[in-house]
Amino acid sequence: MIEYVGENLLAGQVGDFLIVLSFVSSLLAVFFYFFGSDLNPELNSWKRFGRFFYRLHSFALLGIIGILFYLIYTHSFEYYYVWRHSSTALPTRYILSCFWEGQEGSTMLWAFWNVVLGNILIFTSKRWEGMVMMVFASVQAFLGAMLLGIYPFDIQVGSNPFILLREHPDMINLPFTTNPNYLNFVEGNGLNPLLQNYWMTIHPPTVFFGFATTLIPFAYAIAALWKKEYQAWIRPALPWTYFGIAILGLGVLMGGAWAYEALSFGGFWAWDPVENSSLVPWLILVGAGHLMLINRNKMRSMFSAFALSLFAFLLVVYSTYLTKSGILGETSVHSFADGLPGQLIIFLLFYLGLGLYFLIFRAGKFLIKSEEDAFWSREFWIFLGSLVLVISAFQITLSTSIPVINELFNTNMAPPAKPIEHYNSWQLPLTVLITLFIAVSQFLKYKKTDVKKFAKQITPSLILSVAGTILFTYLLQIDKFFINLLLFTSLFAVLANLDYFIRMVKGNVKKGGSALAHVGFGLVILGALLSAGNQKIISKNRSQININFDNDKDANNENVMLLKGDTILMDPYYVTYTNRSIDDKFVYYNMDYLKVNSQGKYEKQFSLSPYIQLNQQMGNVPEPSTKHFWDRDIFTHITFADLENLDSMSMEQYGEPDTLKLQIGDSLFTSNAIVQLMDFDRNVNIDSLGLEESDVALGVKIRAKTLEGERYFANPIMVLRGNRVFSIDDEIADLGVKFGFMGIDPEAEKLSILIEEKNKNAGDFVIMQAIVFPYINVLWIGCIVMTLGTLVAVWTRFKQKSNVKI
Amino acid sequence: MKKTHIIAIVMIAVAIGAIISMVSDAATYADFNTAEQLAGKQIQVVGQLNKEKEISYQPEQDANSFSFFMVDNSGAERKVIFNGAKPQDFERSEQVVVTGSVEGGQFYADKILMKCPSKYNDGQADELTEITAESKS
Repeated sequence: MIEYVGENLLAGQVGDFLIVLSFVSSLLAVFFYFFGSDLNPELNSWKRFGRFFYRLHSFALLGIIGILFYLIYTHSFEYYYVWRHSSTALPTRYILSCFWEGQEGSTMLWAFWNVVLGNILIFTSKRWEGMVMMVFASVQAFLGAMLLGIYPFDIQVGSNPFILLREHPDMINLPFTTNPNYLNFVEGNGLNPLLQNYWMTIHPPTVFFGFATTLIPFAYAIAALWKKEYQAWIRPALPWTYFGIAILGLGVLMGGAWAYEALSFGGFWAWDPVENSSLVPWLILVGAGHLMLINRNKMRSMFSAFALSLFAFLLVVYSTYLTKSGILGETSVHSFADGLPGQLIIFLLFYLGLGLYFLIFRAGKFLIKSEEDAFWSREFWIFLGSLVLVISAFQITLSTSIPVINELFNTNMAPPAKPIEHYNSWQLPLTVLITLFIAVSQFLKYKKTDVKKFAKQITPSLILSVAGTILFTYLLQIDKFFINLLLFTSLFAVLANLDYFIRMVKGNVKKGGSALAHVGFGLVILGALLSAGNQKIISKNRSQININFDNDKDANNENVMLLKGDTILMDPYYVTYTNRSIDDKFVYYNMDYLKVNSQGKYEKQFSLSPYIQLNQQMGNVPEPSTKHFWDRDIFTHITFADLENLDSMSMEQYGEPDTLKLQIGDSLFTSNAIVQLMDFDRNVNIDSLGLEESDVALGVKIRAKTLEGERYFANPIMVLRGNRVFSIDDEIADLGVKFGFMGIDPEAEKLSILIEEKNKNAGDFVIMQAIVFPYINVLWIGCIVMTLGTLVAVWTRFKQKSNVKI
Repeated sequence: MKKTHIIAIVMIAVAIGAIISMVSDAATYADFNTAEQLAGKQIQVVGQLNKEKEISYQPEQDANSFSFFMVDNSGAERKVIFNGAKPQDFERSEQVVVTGSVEGGQFYADKILMKCPSKYNDGQADELTEITAESKS
């Protein structure tokens, strides 16, 4: 038995106990709430016990989270999770990112929000408490099982965040596991450099909060179908659904902002599988919320309201399966490799089965007896809009699921080679429809609309949108049909809803939440369209000829090489790479953006410093730098830089020597000077150099002139001693260059000159890319307006609700 | 015909359309030899970088052309040409996934995805970081 030194085993033991406690108490909460699930507002003892165990579960879960935070904070590398996701050098502000980088941490984050929401619902769900909380507790049991880390019958159930480093399966038989003092030299693996960004502190909790809220409409829908109360669930579920729309929408857009600010793919949306799997539940949740509205106002679209309320959550579970099972494998940059596929499939199939059972056997009857909605009614267009959202979600899910389809049908497909083109070819036309519906439906009335009145109300925004489209088309020279069309419809959506807000709601923010949310959505689409659809790569390769290939169709000239000190035209700027600076593990490449002023001189406009984060374990990561103007962004990032010899020691060393055959009078370029061989120096003072009497010595005078005009001199000497020739080198320290005089070729009358330069002189170039994103601020403003508008609408509905008995 | 029926028919048609478009836009996993027979189709090849042969990137001549030799999982080797900047740390890659098509014995990649081993665990390749580079045309 080895006595290990310095381990804090108590924390892990308490953690293990709390994991079991949280799992068992969530199961008990399911049990008691099941018996207390009659829709009776009375607080009976079944419900009391249900509450007790859900709260016990909550405390246990908060305890697990607290302990894991504590272990990360104290750098307790004896725990695998802490070792795997953090390091001593990591700034404390990234401690949150470390927590949810791993599979177990992100599961806990999700469970945490379910605890928060569940404890609110205990008080607000009234007679629905038993049913809703039973569903909540059951989900918590599934999530809790993912933390168990036990092996009944050799099957792994869950992955325990408190497993010790030396006991982890990956570490078995490694020498350190038998060293009692291993903690003295074990250092954490560290956090993926991509995640060392403030967006990663706020984006995951927001997305998981949004994910957690989808459980509320799901739970209410199950409750309603189970208890055959097909109407009353809408009122309590509706505000929560819109709350989820606001939070999840914000989370999804934050993911885009993170990609834009910190990742180097030059945009905010790349249809990455992980992005897609957070967008799809949002689309379905939006559909569910709108169908609930129709249902509340007109008892219609019952089946679809149930279906979408159930599927929003089911798609969240599916998205968890995609990202955590490892099935995405080669298709996504940020999926978890070490997943628990079997357990996740059971999790998904359980709720899919439950949802489908109730949908088919209870809600199915509403599918048949459908009455026709009037063409000119709000509900008809909202219904159509929800269907478009379903199609959009279906298409994204389908193409994202290619690896799953391969597993199921034994096919051999790879994800689309050009994902952006593939998804856009579907999503652009669908967005045209959505924005068009958003524009018209505010002015339509429920049941029946007076068409003449409607036409009169919609005309001003229609005319303004046409004018705006023409203006932007001219300004930005847009020549793609779908972009033009979408420009018109999204502008129409913004203006019509703004008009509705001003003229119909009279600017009353409390009543105008939905109009504002739609303005915001329109702005998001408009901003995405104007910036991504019209992004201009200004780092065009102008002077160089594409020498390698003749396949012009694929010619890519978006990357430009900049030598230090070079100035290259990137319309409308001239860009100079001024210097490279190293700060800890960040290498900054400073670029000056210049313009030519009226006197014909360069004038600095601004500087950008894209950088590369050096990371030995996980690869070096380039991060962009962006100059924000009110009407456009200048995005700059490094696509390639030479990262050899970056530390100050090796920068001061001399690199590979170069030997040249030159005559007196010849000149050549070094990296920072023009060098000329001036003349021989025949009067070498042998004594002062400590040479022998019999030696023959000949020097050569070399002049180096820098680009700024400064002159330096060097005087290397060739020495002939017997049959041997050697050189006494001479260095110009200021320029980091060294010369040697190696010999003379008498026939060709040429001198053999050796030139060595310090590493810091060489390799100082970058390959960079600069992109202009016009009007990207429209997108960010849209995000804010949409989120705030939705939250206002939620607030108004919560207020309304509290006056009515549910 | 009722509006509901029209809507239902349109929905089914669109769903079928989405499936067709997924199948036709999807690339195919293959090795280099198969890729040659599927000229014009987008192919995804998984393999390793041949570190013995030349990895050519000369930004002073052309910052947007990069080529290397890759051995696929069946052992066939081809020169891969990529119109874009060389991905950072390319030499460290353990596994390379290229998407593109074969023309005249060379593979023209639109997308490179590489996995690098973590330097921990004695270089066991179970911890990988992934880097993608895409050429936009």
